[in-house]
Amino acid sequence: MIIISPYARPMRSGDKNHPKNYPYWNVLIPLIKTLDDVVQVGSGSEEALLGVSDLRLDLSLKDLSELIQQGRTWVSVDSFFQHYCWDQNKRGVVLWGQSDPNIFGHPENINLLKSRKHLREKQFWLWEQTPYDPTVFVQPGEVIQAIKSLI
Amino acid sequence: MKEGKVLCSISTKGRYLTTLPLAIQSVMMQTKMPDKLVIFDDNDPPEDMRDVQLYQYLFQMMNLKGLDWEWVYAEKKGQHYNHDKANKMGYEWVWRMDDDTVAEYDTLEKLFSYTGPDIGAIGGSILTPPFMRGITASGKIENIDLEQNLQWDYISKVKSVDHLHCSFLYRAGIHDYELALSRIAHREETLFTYGLKQKGYQILVVPAITWHLKNKAGGIRDGVREMFEHDEKIFKRSFDLPQDSTIVVLDCGMGDHIVFKHVLPDVKNPFVFSCYPNIVPGQSIAEARALLGDKIDQYNIYRKMDEWNWKGSLEDAFRKLYGAKK
Repeated sequence: MIIISPYARPMRSGDKNHPKNYPYWNVLIPLIKTLDDVVQVGSGSEEALLGVSDLRLDLSLKDLSELIQQGRTWVSVDSFFQHYCWDQNKRGVVLWGQSDPNIFGHPENINLLKSRKHLREKQFWLWEQTPYDPTVFVQPGEVIQAIKSLI
Repeated sequence: MKEGKVLCSISTKGRYLTTLPLAIQSVMMQTKMPDKLVIFDDNDPPEDMRDVQLYQYLFQMMNLKGLDWEWVYAEKKGQHYNHDKANKMGYEWVWRMDDDTVAEYDTLEKLFSYTGPDIGAIGGSILTPPFMRGITASGKIENIDLEQNLQWDYISKVKSVDHLHCSFLYRAGIHDYELALSRIAHREETLFTYGLKQKGYQILVVPAITWHLKNKAGGIRDGVREMFEHDEKIFKRSFDLPQDSTIVVLDCGMGDHIVFKHVLPDVKNPFVFSCYPNIVPGQSIAEARALLGDKIDQYNIYRKMDEWNWKGSLEDAFRKLYGAKK
């Protein structure tokens, strides 16, 4: 089982296009499924991504911890989940776009950043102040290579 | 952040031609010079000191000695506003001098020699002759109305205290000055240094001397009784929080709490307010808001990282905010 956490916490503005959210899940998920089953974790009214049959929402920290330990590895955007997996000593892949992994990431993980030139200038400002840009993320092929190196 | 750099800050009012020139002279004649001197002019209306021969000499002497300096026409809201500006000018350390103080030639060198990663502020003797000798005091905040201040006498050995007064060297950008104080800013340096202690940093008194040429005119002594009472009420509120604790306020996201969990074991005697007590146990954020009011904002780790132009990890930012060494 490989766990995916595809979404950052929704913005207060209600805009669903959070600049942290990875745009190529529809391509990436079938590639991950060639390696193992995919379990999506999330919260609230989040919907299952195309190709995901196992969606687990609003798990307690205890249940989430157990799931993480059962999984072979995980893939996440920059969100609570990547911090929690680090806390649980489970290595995985983090998909970065405009936030800086040197600040918000953990070197124990594989931090995939396309280029530092895409980092937003004001790292600590509200995300509502940053426009969504799908071109700042790495391609699915690079993500798969990173996952393979962990399993 | 200008690592290791020292800004000297003087806020002045009503002392152009009495003690301010002495204070400036003592800064430029230090064995360890600050990297910059900033003078916040709170006079209303201010005068152009470039027209005064004494200041022409002082300005030229600073230039010749290579001391970077700046004269700022301030907002006239009180010295706490001016010191808070200095606090956020990007230097690692600020040596605050009053405009009626004269430092000995080696004061900054001595104060700076005690700086370190867990040090928040360092003060020496603040002497107004004739002064009482043989003062013994705890330096604890709860005894502030019951004992003399250790800084009013010669200091023979280093001692950890809760608060400082008048002039001292401090770690900048960690704690904000209390801007709710009146323009006389009674207790402002006490509240400020005690706030640094509540952020987990040590406050020291050490052997070093600054003369305090208390002046009947100008500065804080121009205040009225109501202002003192107003400021004293704010000061007393600081006793609502537990003494000898590092006050931690986690008004931030779940992921931030997870990261802070790894810092917590290194925080000295923490008293925590938390949004996610299942991750970091603590009192509620509503209680923090009730106790701290607007001051809660200075615990916002994102605001602090923005002010610091932070490039390091979130974990290290928490360590800096709460004086938590690995």
